[in-house]
Amino acid sequence: MSLAIRRTTELIGAAKWFLRRDSRVLSTLPEKVEEPPAELTSKRYRRRFFQNEAILETRHAYPEFLPDPNPNWRNSLREKLERADMLERRSQIDIPEFYVGSVLAVTISDPHAQSKTNRFVGICIERKGCGLRAEFTLRNVVDHQGLEVRYDLYDPTIQSIQVLRLEKRLDDKLFYLRDALPEYSTFSFDMDPEILPEGTPIPVNPVQVKLKPRPWLERWERQELKGVSNIEEHLKEKDRVRRELRKTPWEKYDLMKQYRKTIPIEDQSKIWAEVHNQLQQLQMARKKSARKRTFTTPKTQLG
Amino acid sequence: MDNLKVLCSKLIKLRVDHIVTRSAKFTVKYRPPHWYAPKVNVVKDDDLTQDNMQFIKEVISDRNDSQQELESPLVQSISHTSQQWLPTTRRVGLIARKIGNYPVWSNNGKKMQTTLLQVVDNHVIKYIPPEEFKPMLTTERNWREKRKLGCMLVGSETINPSTVTKDYCGLFNSVGMLPKRHLRRFMVSPEAALPTGTPLFATHFRVGDYIDIRAKTIDRGFQGVMKRWGFKGMPASHGVTKTHRRPGNIGSGGEKARVWPGTKMPGHMGNRWRIIRGVKILRVNTKYNVLWTLGVAIPGETGAMCYLFDTVLPLRKLKSSPPFPTYFPSDDLPVEYYDECVHPFSDPTLTFEET
Repeated sequence: MSLAIRRTTELIGAAKWFLRRDSRVLSTLPEKVEEPPAELTSKRYRRRFFQNEAILETRHAYPEFLPDPNPNWRNSLREKLERADMLERRSQIDIPEFYVGSVLAVTISDPHAQSKTNRFVGICIERKGCGLRAEFTLRNVVDHQGLEVRYDLYDPTIQSIQVLRLEKRLDDKLFYLRDALPEYSTFSFDMDPEILPEGTPIPVNPVQVKLKPRPWLERWERQELKGVSNIEEHLKEKDRVRRELRKTPWEKYDLMKQYRKTIPIEDQSKIWAEVHNQLQQLQMARKKSARKRTFTTPKTQLG
Repeated sequence: MDNLKVLCSKLIKLRVDHIVTRSAKFTVKYRPPHWYAPKVNVVKDDDLTQDNMQFIKEVISDRNDSQQELESPLVQSISHTSQQWLPTTRRVGLIARKIGNYPVWSNNGKKMQTTLLQVVDNHVIKYIPPEEFKPMLTTERNWREKRKLGCMLVGSETINPSTVTKDYCGLFNSVGMLPKRHLRRFMVSPEAALPTGTPLFATHFRVGDYIDIRAKTIDRGFQGVMKRWGFKGMPASHGVTKTHRRPGNIGSGGEKARVWPGTKMPGHMGNRWRIIRGVKILRVNTKYNVLWTLGVAIPGETGAMCYLFDTVLPLRKLKSSPPFPTYFPSDDLPVEYYDECVHPFSDPTLTFEET
């Protein structure tokens, strides 16, 4: 009996955790997570419900497995072939779970480099694209010079993608780092990976950056950014008036717009059912190798 | 009585001055080929009972089965009669559907955009030898034309016979096939002829070969001069009013004080037949009959039908014998064929050697 009680509390905790996680605009479900009915009659139903939820949770970790929602470009066979190719590539290289705001180190093979490889460390400021077209952008400041490198996620010249710090930020895109003070996007190349204890939810970094004075690359004040602290300092009265005029508060009620931007839950569960097993296996293999790595003896450094 | 007299006098005065007769020069300018028949049949099945519907379904499924039985002996009979391929022979083509684009990486690490073409349920419907083949007349006469090529009809995607007209259905009935949604002709050499019912697969083409693709471009409707012809338009500001996307002047004065023929103007854009020539095949999937072709310039939107055939470009023509007259199904096939330049996703990560 006590065991059963403990399990239920765990399940409730899990459900709360699902609710807390923010959903990405593209390639997601509507934000509401369906609550299981209050009086759960059968255990089997409950298990299936949470299993399904767990499968759907993978959409945050692997957003590129969902196709582009534009109906003009969709074709079930193409999507299937594309997913098979993605899994084949994933069997060759460990592509970890990461989010916008995570700090990554990417090593690619470069024919023009001296050592034929090139390593870059930076904060992921954008993730976009579906299927094999998925790409991400890393930003860093090296020698007072801002650098941004865009990588294709499934490019076979990528030798390794290492997550140095796994976390999220308050916004979906961090383009405002370009106009922020350089210390917010400076990361040293010999940064050590920070390992999160297993099973913890992805931490959200609540840091709010300070913008440099104008001119800016974009009109940040109109974008309702949460991760910027001093935007009001740099605005004139004219900008505030224009911001009010440009607001589109009705768009969050536009159900059609939301529908057009998302893949329906029925389609998603089909897709995840197809790839979930293989992704799970790859994840298990990754965990095993990670455990092995921790027990290796550190290299003796000379000189 | 008076009225009648007046009428008679009027009638007497009438004369026939001008008689219109058909001149001897009169020719039919357009005559569709004899195998062309209007396709879509709008059926109202209000007057069909449930039993009748059931009966129709049964008949269709029976015919489908009988057709599948029909295929196998034919295929075996041709595979024995192997003809010789020559660089001058023209093989049959394929009907494919454009199903999308995605990138593929080459062996030197370059990203290549590809278009995926799915070959859907293609069958040879009929072969018309060159002597019997009489194409439609056009206004442009080609006097030098010698009819050396026969006409091969290829169909794709079997459909329910009750949804098409009797004429269209009869065309397939006469050869014992079920009607197809898409029917297309390919001009072939007589030695490349195939019997009715031969299935065609994506392996008809090999990786590394070049093909020509004929399809209808995306229909963009009535478009202005900037989108249709890439004109520059006019400035957005600096006192310009009411003329930002207009063509501007369309002619000069004097002798040429008129609009010259062929002047680029607004009009309907797209929905035209276009051929893109010399497209390389990078990869073939034999399970789903999908071809990966280099580039994204294949005309038409996703889901459009394309017609593929061996290229006619002199430098990219086939050099060695392809599967001739076509590929005959066999069981032991690899699922994927890759061109030499393509890096398969299942291969290990690309690394560059130090030289």
